[in-house]
Amino acid sequence: MRKIVLFLMALVGALNVQAAENYSYLTFEMADGETISVAASSMKMTVNGNTLTVGSQVFNLSNLKRMYFSTTDETSTTGIETTDYSQAVVDETAEIFDLSGHKVSKEQMRKGVYIVKTKNRSYKTTVK
Amino acid sequence: MKKIYAILTAFLLTMAAEAQTLNVKVGTVTYSFPAEQAGDMVYTESGSMLTICGKTFETDNIDEMTIDEGQLSDNSVSVNYDGASATVVVAGNIARYITVEQTGAHVSLTQDADVDDTVGEITYTLSGTSSDGEFYMTGSYKATVELNGLTLTNATPLYSGAAVCIMDGKRIDLSVKKETENTLTDCASGSQKAALYCKGHLELKGQGTLNVYGKLAHAIKSAEYMQIRKCTVNVKEAVKDGLSCDEYFLMESGTVNISGVGDDGIQCDVDGTTSTGETADHEDEDSGNIYIAGGTLNVSTTAVGSKGLNAAGTLTISESTQTATVITVKNSGGVDTSDSTDLAGSACLKADTAIVISGGTLTLTNSGQGGRAINSDGTLTVSGGTIDAKAQGTNYGSSGGGRWGGNSSTSNHKYAKGVKADGNITISGGTLNIYSKSHEGLESKGTIDISGGEVYVQASDDAINAASHLTVSGGQVCGYSTGNDGLDSNGNMYIKGGLVYAICSGSPEVGLDANTEGGYKLYLSGGTVIAIGGLENGSSLTQSCYQASSWNKNTWYALTVGSSVFAFKTPSSGGSGIVVSGASQPTLKSGVTVSGGTTIFSGMGNVNPTVSGGSSVSLSSYSGNSGGPGGGPGGGGWPGGWH
Repeated sequence: MRKIVLFLMALVGALNVQAAENYSYLTFEMADGETISVAASSMKMTVNGNTLTVGSQVFNLSNLKRMYFSTTDETSTTGIETTDYSQAVVDETAEIFDLSGHKVSKEQMRKGVYIVKTKNRSYKTTVK
Repeated sequence: MKKIYAILTAFLLTMAAEAQTLNVKVGTVTYSFPAEQAGDMVYTESGSMLTICGKTFETDNIDEMTIDEGQLSDNSVSVNYDGASATVVVAGNIARYITVEQTGAHVSLTQDADVDDTVGEITYTLSGTSSDGEFYMTGSYKATVELNGLTLTNATPLYSGAAVCIMDGKRIDLSVKKETENTLTDCASGSQKAALYCKGHLELKGQGTLNVYGKLAHAIKSAEYMQIRKCTVNVKEAVKDGLSCDEYFLMESGTVNISGVGDDGIQCDVDGTTSTGETADHEDEDSGNIYIAGGTLNVSTTAVGSKGLNAAGTLTISESTQTATVITVKNSGGVDTSDSTDLAGSACLKADTAIVISGGTLTLTNSGQGGRAINSDGTLTVSGGTIDAKAQGTNYGSSGGGRWGGNSSTSNHKYAKGVKADGNITISGGTLNIYSKSHEGLESKGTIDISGGEVYVQASDDAINAASHLTVSGGQVCGYSTGNDGLDSNGNMYIKGGLVYAICSGSPEVGLDANTEGGYKLYLSGGTVIAIGGLENGSSLTQSCYQASSWNKNTWYALTVGSSVFAFKTPSSGGSGIVVSGASQPTLKSGVTVSGGTTIFSGMGNVNPTVSGGSSVSLSSYSGNSGGPGGGPGGGGWPGGWH
């Protein structure tokens, strides 16, 4: 009996190590080094032509270098313009996403970091 | 303690549920990559290609990618059939090694040649139902195929006409999963060799049930050896053999039921040109041998010339202390006359080299014309087991003199015999109950040597016949002929020990008949002997023999030799007079009442029973003489017949 318990505990320990590697994000790296992490849970991705749609994120396949599972949000500031929200111009046609990839409206924006996509560019903005 | 288990179990489940898996769906095929294995998933060629774990996808072909908490074991492929389609799921770690082709429910999987000991064995799990589908797999490394509730019929040959075709020449474990029923049916057209075909070594196991219908050829065919353990295999139909393999066949446990076949129940051939014979642990064995070492085997064949079990090498039947061996074979096939110069008779058990039986319970019944229960082209060795062998059919053709009517050509006949061997027969143990309605019961074209066991033979011709010498040195032997000699040797006959009860049909036949005409004789030097119809003339009797000139039919007699008693029941008819012999001068009583003891000889004998009643039979000394066959004391024959 003691052996069984010890075995199970060892198994739990081993799984704990594995569980520590809980890949909550799928991170996409662009050709220019920019990285965007998207919450992995129940994620669905579809390919349509040259675009990869990940939830509300749309990637140009030709710009994608790689993707990988990560344990943390690795959305980078490198390669994407960061603009204070107060200075940002968010017109009515822009799309706004939180770092989990969920689309939000301007009114829903609270304190935090958001990605704003306009016709011409995407940039990161921080609401303070 | 229960609480601890519950907590640990719940925790384990929680841990497992947290794992993320990326599923890449391409048509009906899904490749599942666990997060911890996926690593860098690289886009190349302007994003038109995506490589994960060495598996490269054309992104155009990807229908969708999802992430869930599903868990698929490494090295696994699952195929689930659903009507006219099938879904395939491939574990990510082996995705690079698997190529899937698919049309509807016809699925072809190619296992890359790079699969080796490092990659490890891949398990293919098949489930679901399709009335027009197949599983076709190629590869060059050992693999496991699991049948997990699969009902698959191949109605339209595409990759093959088989329901399951495994073109992998290595060891294939075919596991019939516990508590599942699986049914495979191949197409009536095509070129497949079986409904379930394996190019390599096929090892059937598991604790589920597999039903097989072979609509074109065999039900199950392995191009190399075949092994069966634990599972239940039901061959419901086959145009040719139920189970067919090369190299060797081994059944260690489980249940195999074979019926509705157009040829043999189980056939095993030598793959190459030369047999290796049996090898240690069957390593690299190519013998054509069949080994039944445990389990339950029921075979019914009806085709002309068919065999229940047919070994190109040796047929070995044994039983372990862990697993009983129970074999029942019924054959009603009769003679295959398609080659008039080489008639092929039917048999329950047939082997080209030898038949060796050391254990098990065998019930063998051949009701076909010219059929045999056991037929060895080589030797027959029995050291254990309980064997009930019956040839209930008539003879086919004639013996040259038209004895059985029909064609008078000596080559154009096939006699129905209980047990026949072209080579020597050696019996040292076991219980044999042999019956032949139309010809000899136990026959060897060589010698017969009985040193143990219980042998009861009833036949219309010689009950026991050896083309050469016949020796009894132990055991219990009864040869009961209703149309010829009890025991007959065409060479010398040696009775050295054991218990012998011989019954002939009547003059000129005798109970114990050696080939005096050919210069041979009966040597009786020991044992306990009862010969109804007497002994061959000119015998050498170094152990004293005694005679009574008459006996009563259907009557229990008791022969006492020293402290041993053997009670025997006389037949309803038989040769005149009776000769008895024992290690010391015996006494004989007639009309006794028998109780207790050990019943032998299918109820015609009893060893050391309690005997009561009866009357003493007057015995007089008997000595061999030079008179003709069937002669009695002084060469003048018995003074009286049986009453």
